[in-house]
Amino acid sequence: MSINDLPVLSALRTKMQWHQERQRVLSENVSNSDTPNFRPRDLVEPKFDKSGAPTGSMRPLAMTVTSASHMTPSGAASSFDQNKNAGFETRPAGNAVNLEEEMMKSANNQMDYAAVTSLYSKSLHLLKTAIGKG
Amino acid sequence: MANDSSDFARSMAIATSGLRAQAGRMRVISENIANADSTSPTAGGDPYRRKVPTFSSALDRTLDAQVVTLGRIKPDQSNFRVKYEPSNPAADASGNVKYPNVNSVVETTDMRDAQRSYEANVNIISATRRMIQRTLDILKS
Repeated sequence: MSINDLPVLSALRTKMQWHQERQRVLSENVSNSDTPNFRPRDLVEPKFDKSGAPTGSMRPLAMTVTSASHMTPSGAASSFDQNKNAGFETRPAGNAVNLEEEMMKSANNQMDYAAVTSLYSKSLHLLKTAIGKG
Repeated sequence: MANDSSDFARSMAIATSGLRAQAGRMRVISENIANADSTSPTAGGDPYRRKVPTFSSALDRTLDAQVVTLGRIKPDQSNFRVKYEPSNPAADASGNVKYPNVNSVVETTDMRDAQRSYEANVNIISATRRMIQRTLDILKS
């Protein structure tokens, strides 16, 4: 069993990937804040069961890419669910991006990511202590 | 995953596309403001016509994400301002001079809007950089 298979570490890693993916989605929203008819998107938060494995619709059936030249559908997240209900006000041009809201989300995302990375290094510390190197 | 670069690098590249588009918009706005009072070089001719920047969302296939691009810069078809100035070299036979259809109030609000969007994109880049730093900090512990 490798270190990465430990339930705590794998759950934290999934959470870090989720934050990484969310940062990408938020950055897409902000950069398109003046594009007509652009709808902002967000990701659904991951849920974990008692053993630390992601549950629910976190593992959808992935489409199989049979050729390297195949395109992935635009905006399709790799493994996380999209929340289509993001954005509540639409400007006359059809753009529904609210910059303040996106900034709040980005700040939250960053703080949560910082918390997860701290937990990850603490868990590594625990491992070091366990093997007598801490 | 269609590409090899990390998601953080992609976030930064997407935000950079936003910066580039807003900078282009700023360029068009400054062009409009600079030409707010220019007249035609020939008597009775049309002066500078206000330009309107447009944005479009495009799928960047290397990034596999929706980036923003500055679309076509279209001319504003509204009427020119006309002033009666018979002494002006650009005046037509009846003494009227056409001035550009630039409204400095509209341009100023547009400029503020571009500035706000630009700052938002810069914020995303710094937030992403801090997140990368946190990832690297795991190695230090």
